[in-house]
Amino acid sequence: MAIEEYEHDSLRCTRCSFCKWIPWESMRHPDFMQGCPSASRYNFHAYAAGGKFNLALSLMKGRIAYTEGFLDAVFKCQMDGSCDISCKAVQDIEPLQNMQELRIRCVQDGQGDPAHMLVIEGLKKEDNMMQAKKADRAKWAEGIPVKNLIKEKAKVVYHAGCRYSFDEELWPTARAGLALLMNAGVDVGIMGRDEACCGGRAYEMGYLGELTKFAEHNREVFKAAGVTTLVTPCSDGYQTFKVLYDKIGRKLDIEVLHITEYIHRLIKEGTIRLTKKIPLTVTYHDPCHLGRLAEPWIHWKGKEVKVLGQMIVHEPPKKYRRGANGVYDIPREILKSIPGLRVVEMYRTRESAWCCGAGGGVKEAYPDFAIWTGAERLKEAKAVGARAIVSACPWCTRNFKDTVRERGHQIEVYDIIELVRKACNGKINM
Amino acid sequence: MDLTKDAYRALEDIVGPENISQDQAVMDTYNQVWGNKLVFDAKWSTRPAAVLMPESTEEVQAVVRACNRYRISFKPFSSGFEIMSTALASENAIILDLKRMNRILDIDVKNMHALVEPYVSVYRLQLELAKHGLFIGTISAGAEAGVIASHCCHFGSGTTQVYAGGLGRNVLGCEWVLPTGEILRMGSAETGNEWYSADGPGFSLRGILRGHSGANGGHGVITKCSAKLYHWYGPQEWELQGSLPSLKRLDRVPDGFKAFAATFATRDDAYDALREVGQAGIGFSVWLLIGGEMCEGNDEFWEMFQKMDPAEMQRLAHSLLVILGANTTREMDYREKCLRKIVDKWQGQFLPPLNDPEYLALRSAIMFWSIGTVRETFRPCGEFFITPCTDATEDMIKLQNTAAVEGLMPYVQKGAIMQPGPAPFHLPYENYSVGSHIETIIQFDPYDDDSLQAVREWTDETFDPKGKFCKFGVPCLGGGLQIEPVSHVVQKWGPEYDNYDVWLTKIKDALDPNNLGDWSAYVPPLFP
Repeated sequence: MAIEEYEHDSLRCTRCSFCKWIPWESMRHPDFMQGCPSASRYNFHAYAAGGKFNLALSLMKGRIAYTEGFLDAVFKCQMDGSCDISCKAVQDIEPLQNMQELRIRCVQDGQGDPAHMLVIEGLKKEDNMMQAKKADRAKWAEGIPVKNLIKEKAKVVYHAGCRYSFDEELWPTARAGLALLMNAGVDVGIMGRDEACCGGRAYEMGYLGELTKFAEHNREVFKAAGVTTLVTPCSDGYQTFKVLYDKIGRKLDIEVLHITEYIHRLIKEGTIRLTKKIPLTVTYHDPCHLGRLAEPWIHWKGKEVKVLGQMIVHEPPKKYRRGANGVYDIPREILKSIPGLRVVEMYRTRESAWCCGAGGGVKEAYPDFAIWTGAERLKEAKAVGARAIVSACPWCTRNFKDTVRERGHQIEVYDIIELVRKACNGKINM
Repeated sequence: MDLTKDAYRALEDIVGPENISQDQAVMDTYNQVWGNKLVFDAKWSTRPAAVLMPESTEEVQAVVRACNRYRISFKPFSSGFEIMSTALASENAIILDLKRMNRILDIDVKNMHALVEPYVSVYRLQLELAKHGLFIGTISAGAEAGVIASHCCHFGSGTTQVYAGGLGRNVLGCEWVLPTGEILRMGSAETGNEWYSADGPGFSLRGILRGHSGANGGHGVITKCSAKLYHWYGPQEWELQGSLPSLKRLDRVPDGFKAFAATFATRDDAYDALREVGQAGIGFSVWLLIGGEMCEGNDEFWEMFQKMDPAEMQRLAHSLLVILGANTTREMDYREKCLRKIVDKWQGQFLPPLNDPEYLALRSAIMFWSIGTVRETFRPCGEFFITPCTDATEDMIKLQNTAAVEGLMPYVQKGAIMQPGPAPFHLPYENYSVGSHIETIIQFDPYDDDSLQAVREWTDETFDPKGKFCKFGVPCLGGGLQIEPVSHVVQKWGPEYDNYDVWLTKIKDALDPNNLGDWSAYVPPLFP
């Protein structure tokens, strides 16, 4: 695909600006109605998805060249997909795919974001997005008697992902996730030092080649390890393995689960019992990559036809990813099963959730914008009376923790794994 | 066209470097809007020289004064969702994107009015008002339409106008930065801090402010407006349910309201019933169904359409949806009794499928807050246009309906425009501000040559004061596509209507002696 594939969509963008807001049907509070962090923070239309359609079309037609304003608008964006949901509530066009292709075009033309280039250099050398040494990748799991899938066989691979592997403050969560599985008797292993990046964040930055490379590598590695299921505590990784690999024709032939899905399964089976009380009022933040962006990829091949005179339809009928099929209920059900925990909902939830701020390369290139976005979410969490915000993604957790530190917000930040660990009846410490 | 360095610096000093841009790429996101292809034969209209985002009346005033100093044209907009918002008559022009002026300044519960800035949307205000049992009427531009744009600047109509009136009727005190930079406060706002009346004490300039069709940014910047409010009979908060945003619905018609769908033998009967609902003053929101149903996407619509029984489709086209609201059971009983009597009189029936509670709940949310959004108007074919469009007596409405159906039929038969149901779209509204109203909506694909050509032909025909549709009167701005330098509607029709073009140009000249308020969607002081 390329931006040219979305010319039709660019022409049909009406400039309604729905992409800047959550769908009106989901609006519940006058202070929490905006959907796009980029357009909310930087205001000019170029920062909204509609503006990106305009930029792509003008670029294609040779009306504009790459300018400072162009690149600023393209890369100061979390690629969180809120715009995509709002637009597709009323249109049959693909704003997020256009934005993705626009980034890929920028990179192909040597116009990638300078901060991203550094990260990608690190990725090429060390197989991770954290500018860290590959040799240190397994440190998070030191001391845990878990199978190394390079040497041993197991049914399940636990893929920690780059953030959990190298963000030391988050190691206890990564370890707790693994411990939960091991204590439940799951036949699980890790790749250790040989675990590689999923490639998803690089793709969001515009590096299609990196995604393809890591997709092919990981497919081979998982095949060689003989695993049947991949479980990851990282929502970014989950979306990459489940959706992006499929999108680029490298679908994994194993089951891909986010750890919340696996925990939920174990709770239902009675293998995990949450019995310890946690007297806390929390709100659940839907990670974009577990929610709206995790909707399965829909492959479609066909043509556009006109019916009723000029109405545009497809042969065969085309299903659009409109946000209904992300993982929304499972994390909530887990939280609700924890004794003593009171769960309150924010005003923007599920497919209309406000982004944490970390995605799309923003955390790496525009940390202030990431913090601003995170602060907006914490404001909302506090507005509904939550004492803690719970996410299910290390990128969200990291950004919320940084926001709390920088802005002095009085709110606790948890990953859902931590709360499950606290509420768990069995042995968990490792 | 670039601004001079001095001019740019002067403007930058006012709004700050973060809130001004003349980056060519960024500018090309301020000239691409629906309608351009039809009117300008390209996706792009004139690229502005710069875009500014002022944050306050003082900043707007300073910008306008700088424009006068450096002789730069300007056009303000809130959401910018129309060709009339972005079209520019000159390359030496800037756009004031009023996004940062987004505050709800006051809700006067006792006196039932709300004071807002330009970027406050109708639905945002509504969420706040409901807490106080208040409601604001709107036009059918969707929930995100701006309060000031729809009340003070632009033409539109909507389903709740039967209850809350429309056009300029709900404009109370206003703050207006004239094209000279002078600040004018209209009505009671001129005398102090009260915003309860547009007509005094103080200047009453409501007619000049917007008249019927609005100046669309052509004569300055409305920076504050107090809008008249009405009772909201429903809950203080609500939540629509469903997994797909586009199909979310209320779980039921809320307490305080009742919804009905009445089906008539003919569309004319439905019009007559509609008129009487308006005259009886009982409706909260009324709408004639138009043969289409809400769906997830075009493919889903087409699938449903193919399965629909033609008789059922016919019924839809002759069906009237009515929402009644009341504070007491007695009041509701009275309204319901009136409605049933009207429906009986025109031999209508409350048929079961359309009166299914779930269906009515789905429809009622749209009829309270949002209708005519991108989904209904743009998604099917790409774009839509409205002509003819008439505010008139019921007989004229019926006549126009018949003429439009006949006139459009050749285009429908050629497949050049969409016919979604058994008849082209018609949206007649009965409201006490303007009598009745009808919009002939034509859905077309601007990137299909035959479709584009058909709409251009039809537009030329209905815009011609000597043509066969001249009896329907001057084309109003309902389609949002009347760009005076291209369509010359005011210029052509003025002589037919007491030379109103002359009056308008005199007003423009008096308010804007340097002709700097962009006139592309209004008039110049002197036609070129």
